[in-house]
Amino acid sequence: MAAAAAGNTVMVVGIDDSEHSLYALQWTLLHFFSGRGLDPPFKLVVVHAKRIATSVVGFAGSGAVDVLPFLELDLERIAARVMDKAKELCTANSVADVEYEVVEGDPRNVLCEAVEKHHADMLVVGSHGYGAIKRTVLGSVSDYCAHHAHCTVMIVKKPKPKH
Amino acid sequence: MEECTVESAASGEKTTEEAKGGDEGKKMKVMVAVDESEGSMHALCWALDHLFTSTGGEVPDKTQALGRLILLHAQLPPYHLVHPVPVGPAVYATSSAMESVRKAREENSICILERASKICMERLIKAETVIIDGDPKDVICGATEEMNIDLLIMGSRGLGKIKRAILGSVSDHCAHHAKCPILIVKPPKVQP
Repeated sequence: MAAAAAGNTVMVVGIDDSEHSLYALQWTLLHFFSGRGLDPPFKLVVVHAKRIATSVVGFAGSGAVDVLPFLELDLERIAARVMDKAKELCTANSVADVEYEVVEGDPRNVLCEAVEKHHADMLVVGSHGYGAIKRTVLGSVSDYCAHHAHCTVMIVKKPKPKH
Repeated sequence: MEECTVESAASGEKTTEEAKGGDEGKKMKVMVAVDESEGSMHALCWALDHLFTSTGGEVPDKTQALGRLILLHAQLPPYHLVHPVPVGPAVYATSSAMESVRKAREENSICILERASKICMERLIKAETVIIDGDPKDVICGATEEMNIDLLIMGSRGLGKIKRAILGSVSDHCAHHAKCPILIVKPPKVQP
């Protein structure tokens, strides 16, 4: 585990399977890490919250038990894919000193806990914004983190394509 | 119950030839919204200390490391202050009263921006200042669009859920409605 140089800003970036969060990671890398050469003054921790299979299945009943193993596998695959994409992005931006974590649980808690664990100075999340035709609305995870994380929160929005 | 898989991808060597086409990384237009609250000054300090750092060596102007810094102050228009009361006698301000209110507002705004600029100068960072009239929520969101801001930085009063609903939160509003990435700096924890 790389020790952060004294005075480095620790940034935790939360990612999931969405385009928005990978865009957030990409944006962060581009604006804070690119072109800094050997020693960017930031330490990056990429965290993926893997949902617990039982929380994803909405219904209870005999059917749920059969579905769980497939769901579990699916979630594993998603987690692996997400982390691969993250690694790709980091390498593409020449950022080598990154910590990658997959933590099982609800994204809201996982991210806030990751902030505590890494003594992060900053949490970066994307924003889903489902709904709201004209105006952007925050997704529930980014909204929760903005209020509850004990550090500075950066919400990166994916710009809507202009017509 | 959580399982943690930690993969550390830190490599010992970093190659210099990785610089893609020798580009400096994307320069950003950063806007910090300031008002008279301690929260926003703290946000400015935090941003300057954590984001506008040079990468070692002597950089005379640290702003170059990240891009342009703009300090925005939203000035509430004076008619807010002399709004006629629905019940009871209406208050009509004389023109001289309006003038002095206007002057006081302007002085207040300039004072705030001076304070903010001083904070920047202490850290060897150049900043541009802007004063715009209007409701802070709308002013800030509008300014980010008009000036093509890449990153908006704001403080937060750290209000709880109920107070937010009653008092309203500018940072909340901007987090929802600003089109650009937004960075919200929480107030420092109060030591008991």
